[in-house]
Amino acid sequence: MTEQKYKFLSTPRRPVEDRRFVAGRGKFIADLDRPNMLHVAPLASHHAAAVINGIDASAALAMPGVVDVITGAELAAAVQPLMNGLNTPNVRRFPLAVDRVRYAGEWVCAVVAESRALAEDALEKIIVDATPQPFILDAEAALLETSAPVHPEHGSNLLLDRKFVWGPVDDDFDAAAHSLSFSVTWGRNSTVPIETFGVLAEWNGWDQMLDIWASIQMPKYADQIARSLDLPGNAIRVHYDVDVGGSYGVKRGIKHSVLVGYVARKLGCPVRLIEDRLENMRAGDAHGPERKFDITIAFDQDGTVRSMKMRALDNAGAYAGRAPFQLGKPISAIVGPYQINSVAYHALSVTTNKTVQEAVRGFGQAPTNYAIETAMDRVAKYLGMDRLALRQKNLIRKDQFPYLIPSGSYYDSGDYHAVIDKVLAAADYPAMLAERDRLRDAGMMAGIGIAACLEPSGGNSSFEPLLNQSNQTSTWMESCQVNIDALGKLTARIHTTSSGQGHETLVSTVLGEVMQIDPELIRITRPNSLESLPGNSPVGSRMAIMLGGAAARAGEKLKAKIMAIAAHRLGVAIDQLRYEGGDVLAHDGRRFTWDEMVELAHRQYHNLPDGMDPGLASFDIMQVPTGDALPVDDKVQMYPCYSFEFHLLLVSFDPIIGRPDIHSYVIGHDCGTVINPAIVSGMTYGGIAHGIGAALFEEFAYDTNGQLLTQSFLDYLMPSSHEVPAIQIVKHCTPSPHTVFGQKGSGESGYLGAPAAVSAAINDAVSGLGIHFEKLPIRMSAISDAIAAKTS
Amino acid sequence: MNIELNGSEQINTSPANLWESVIDPVVLQRAIPGCISMTETGEGQYQMTLELKVAAVGGSFEGAVSLSEMNPPHSCIITVSGSGTLGTGGGNATVAITEGDDGNALISYQAQGEVSGLVAGVGQRILMGVAKHLARQFFTALKKEFAAA
Repeated sequence: MTEQKYKFLSTPRRPVEDRRFVAGRGKFIADLDRPNMLHVAPLASHHAAAVINGIDASAALAMPGVVDVITGAELAAAVQPLMNGLNTPNVRRFPLAVDRVRYAGEWVCAVVAESRALAEDALEKIIVDATPQPFILDAEAALLETSAPVHPEHGSNLLLDRKFVWGPVDDDFDAAAHSLSFSVTWGRNSTVPIETFGVLAEWNGWDQMLDIWASIQMPKYADQIARSLDLPGNAIRVHYDVDVGGSYGVKRGIKHSVLVGYVARKLGCPVRLIEDRLENMRAGDAHGPERKFDITIAFDQDGTVRSMKMRALDNAGAYAGRAPFQLGKPISAIVGPYQINSVAYHALSVTTNKTVQEAVRGFGQAPTNYAIETAMDRVAKYLGMDRLALRQKNLIRKDQFPYLIPSGSYYDSGDYHAVIDKVLAAADYPAMLAERDRLRDAGMMAGIGIAACLEPSGGNSSFEPLLNQSNQTSTWMESCQVNIDALGKLTARIHTTSSGQGHETLVSTVLGEVMQIDPELIRITRPNSLESLPGNSPVGSRMAIMLGGAAARAGEKLKAKIMAIAAHRLGVAIDQLRYEGGDVLAHDGRRFTWDEMVELAHRQYHNLPDGMDPGLASFDIMQVPTGDALPVDDKVQMYPCYSFEFHLLLVSFDPIIGRPDIHSYVIGHDCGTVINPAIVSGMTYGGIAHGIGAALFEEFAYDTNGQLLTQSFLDYLMPSSHEVPAIQIVKHCTPSPHTVFGQKGSGESGYLGAPAAVSAAINDAVSGLGIHFEKLPIRMSAISDAIAAKTS
Repeated sequence: MNIELNGSEQINTSPANLWESVIDPVVLQRAIPGCISMTETGEGQYQMTLELKVAAVGGSFEGAVSLSEMNPPHSCIITVSGSGTLGTGGGNATVAITEGDDGNALISYQAQGEVSGLVAGVGQRILMGVAKHLARQFFTALKKEFAAA
């Protein structure tokens, strides 16, 4: 096993963060209290679309404890619009609605009061004079020229309309024996963290400093606040030493933070806004992709898949948000783990009168994987071929890496066939098939689901320059600083918040491995943004690769300095020395100890090599491996590493009731070298639970009036321990050639393939009836209704 | 979401008495569940404030009520519109009062309305039940007016 060469890496070590969380000693935004703190409650629009004629807040302002009421008009006059990343200057967005509301739940104005309860009471006294307007909810309808634009100044509902052709698509279609077309739709869902978003801002006029504590998982957060508030970057101090109670993409909070920052400056008091659940669900940054795929796929009689045409239409909601770019990330793995020679991709993003879509785990990759895996099942069914055999035939082989896909990315490494073989053995696939047939004989509907997919990880945000040529981003660096104090102990600094990824464990383990020091003895701190080196926060499954990489490289720099000090002290060449557990051994047996080295570096400048700076500190600002170029001819290397996962499960349900019961679930997972096994397994278990939710339960559903129907947990259903089966993880390790230890990303594992696999299992169960479920989530009502329609 | 509500109730008083009561703001304020105030603003026009709680959300509701096509003491149309923290809503009810064999009034109503906002989203699955419950509370209170008298 490759793992054995490590002392701390890949060993079962309890995550450092667990102690404080298990003991209830995390520090969240709700735990922070500042003297004279004021509280904000936003007023939500009742209408899906309306023109605001006027807001009468006089009764609210007259209430005891109410300090201010902020309207969109006031805010728009004082702050810059929020960044949208596209060249759509007329799709302007402010934290509060200005002149018109564009979705039910949008913030119309905000009450500032001495307590959140008083602020909520005051909301009831605000009278909004609004005239309802026509609205649009369906993405295809939004494309029609006859449909009213959500932003009239923009002229249409189109945010993004890009066509890509990678490789000889027409030739491949002409040469293929068969083709078939189908459509599938991914329903709008989320990650639903336990903690909703919260932010606290405090302005100090004498220092000209805005201090911010926020439950964020947000790249360039401080920069965006500074731009919007017209403050210098060094007047925003974001404190990273807060705990974030879950995220997976949804803890963005720019609009909340600009609002609260503005109020804090205006009133000169600390101001806090913590969303309640309803605010989070209907107007937070919670909503993920809502995407319709139209796919045509070309293939031969022997099952070889030659080419694919994919149209992906995404319902972005009322503003640009991050939705358009979530059509970009999947370009990096647009053929999945398969050898598909050419692809035509048409990416469309439109505005509608729904809640704004932001980022959700996988950044659009899970829906695309669902579409690709559905295509593989349809091809197998068309040819009367075994689904597994079809996949095995088309999978990229171990000897083909690095493998260049048509859209310009090289897959780094993998052994997909070996992972699948391991899973089939672990699951006892023949017995699983026999059990499915036994269940069917007993009158149940039973099906087996299969899905294979990739997790692109650790990249630049190259989808931005790919979809918007004015964006010239070619780095998405991450940094780490390490210091050895005068008593010889290590402290490392990381420059971001964490929402459960275990960054303290990651850095202490990696540094411990490099320095050969027990990770338990290494302190990790999170300074504020002004004391931080540049970084891009944990997005896109990047931190094991990028923060782990930066920490290892900073450690290596320190080690090099230690070796130079030792060589000078012992009077021998560096290549005659060996580093061992902090001490340095010479070939003649002399030992230069850690303590001596620390003493020299901190106190005895005269004993250091000529010209060497005193002290023992280092830092590393790491560039993304392989991510050094902008797109050329619509192609770009987006991610350095590609993790692989293979899902296999058995589902059954009663044909009348239609409530799916997952009997067994096995996943094969290869994310290269694992740094902390408990963290990777936790990501995978949670990712599968999340994926079961997306496949069967979770959806932000709207009624025909544009009202969000699923905004509480009574209606927005999530899987519980009743619905999530015991999951068996089968591990495999194909190291990446591009990372310091061969590690790849794993933060999206499970979620990227589980929806496809669960959908496949349900569809296998009903395939005898000629039913195809073409939309997620597949609710039990949809299952029982479809069966009833076929059998009655 | 759209709501429809139909029903009929027997009230132990004459149609004429009942008619006088249901256009009397003082009686209506007592009988309408959660009604804080009810003021007559014109002929058959009322301004009303309600405090209601539906599912996890509660709040106040400011509304305008108007009576039209009045045919005392037999029938009228009640139109309601308003808004509040719970959402916005509107609707109308056709009300008919007839005399039963025992001389007591029989009131029947056919109402339809539409609500939007928080109450529609959060309360959708219980809104029909709530509407029926509120109607029952109203008639129970109305009956009590005449039981006491």
